[in-house]
Amino acid sequence: MVSGSRLERLLRQGEFVVCGEMSPPQGADKAPILKKCEYFRGYVDAVNLTDNQTAIVRMSSIVSSFFVLEGGCEPIMQMTCRDRNRLAQQSDLLGAYAIGIRNVLCLTGDYQTFGNQGDAKGVFDLDSVQLIHTVADMNRGRLLSGDELKPPPAFFIGGAANPFAEPLEMRIIRLEKKVAAGVHFIQTQPVFDWSRFEKWMSAVRDVGLDEKVFIIVGVMPVRSAKALLYMRDEVPGMSIPDECIKRMESAQDPKEEGIRMCVETMQRLRNTPGVRGIHIMPVMWESITPRLVEEAGLLPRPEPLSIEETSPETAETS
Amino acid sequence: MSKFTEAIAEFTEKHPTLYRCVLLGENMFKKAIFGCQDCGQCVLSYNAFVCCMRCPKQMRNGPCGGTRANGRCEVYPNRPCIWWLIYKRAKWMGRAAKLKKYHVPVDRRLEHTSAWMNMFAGRILPLDLSKELREIELPKKEPPPKW
Ligand code: SF4
Ligand code: SF4
Repeated sequence: MVSGSRLERLLRQGEFVVCGEMSPPQGADKAPILKKCEYFRGYVDAVNLTDNQTAIVRMSSIVSSFFVLEGGCEPIMQMTCRDRNRLAQQSDLLGAYAIGIRNVLCLTGDYQTFGNQGDAKGVFDLDSVQLIHTVADMNRGRLLSGDELKPPPAFFIGGAANPFAEPLEMRIIRLEKKVAAGVHFIQTQPVFDWSRFEKWMSAVRDVGLDEKVFIIVGVMPVRSAKALLYMRDEVPGMSIPDECIKRMESAQDPKEEGIRMCVETMQRLRNTPGVRGIHIMPVMWESITPRLVEEAGLLPRPEPLSIEETSPETAETS
Repeated sequence: MSKFTEAIAEFTEKHPTLYRCVLLGENMFKKAIFGCQDCGQCVLSYNAFVCCMRCPKQMRNGPCGGTRANGRCEVYPNRPCIWWLIYKRAKWMGRAAKLKKYHVPVDRRLEHTSAWMNMFAGRILPLDLSKELREIELPKKEPPPKW
């Protein structure tokens, strides 16, 4: 046990976890966050708070995570390397831990030209592997400079993986690096291309990485074929097979079909060896989360045991 | 590296004109051939002699999640992803095992200084071409003067 967060306890108890995702508001008001918490409370085990996703300015992920705590859910704070240098990252992490945030997802971040501030300076002082290493070092009571940290934080550290980007072997090497750097859980891009996902997953199992790190796989409900086409053509690193698009195009009610497709993927993932949880990323459609979780048969969500009751055998990484 | 190379580095760094000549020579060679971005702590030998600092995000530990299916960069669709090039070249050269090396954060004090002299002075990992990778603890050393 590292952090004792709800997410960590459930994973170590061998439960199949469900994570949600929320974009912080584009305004100076916390009300939208508290409202969205209602879609998550009791339906998911933790919620990701994106950090200026696609380089569009939103409320800071640390502050939004704090409001999510206030709203009664457990946050997974995302932190990118695009907007801060190593000093700011470490100081923000200390502050985040102090206000009660226990899960952090370390990302490199989308390039600044994708968003609404294309003329900004991208920092990229560290990359995501180095950031993971930094947080792991902070957990051990050391700053990046080697200076002692007292008292140290205890973060449950996450990283990202994209099973769909080429080349596959390089993706596995990078995942191995993240594990060696000290990552505890991995969240992936949403699955549409099942055959490619299977290939990645079996490569992960072959090198035994599913034993060393908790793999939480992304799913995404879509509302129309247009959304899929957009993702295929405009979002780099995504793989959308033609059958998916055809299925959505020929559906009478594309919205329902999108939900059905997502639920099917969730049920398949539930039975895939090595997959320890699901991460639902409904882009701007958070209200659908409860229905997806219910239809996939993942309700009620389990309550974690207390830290003392969690048996050490289920703790794969310490 | 050794006492001898350290003495060379020390001597060069004491003489601005000499240092500039070395830097010019290094830049002429590495900029022309590898598109060097002057990070001052070269990792070319680990990355199959493709400079990873040409990546828009300056990824030193592998590709970001945005590499396109055709091997192009997510930021500039008409340019190849640097890590795609590194992977292909490393495969071709039989050096894929070296891609597993973890690279520590860039020491920004070394930017725009001579990577060769930094290597001679023992500030960065030596170009270990023939031997297997091993973990080397580098002593903490002063950065070179920027002449
Ligand atoms: S010194 Fe740095 S920027 Fe120049 S070629 Fe080597 S790795 Fe690339
Ligand atoms: S696609 Fe490749 S070159 Fe482009 S930012 Fe990502 S890692 Fe760098």
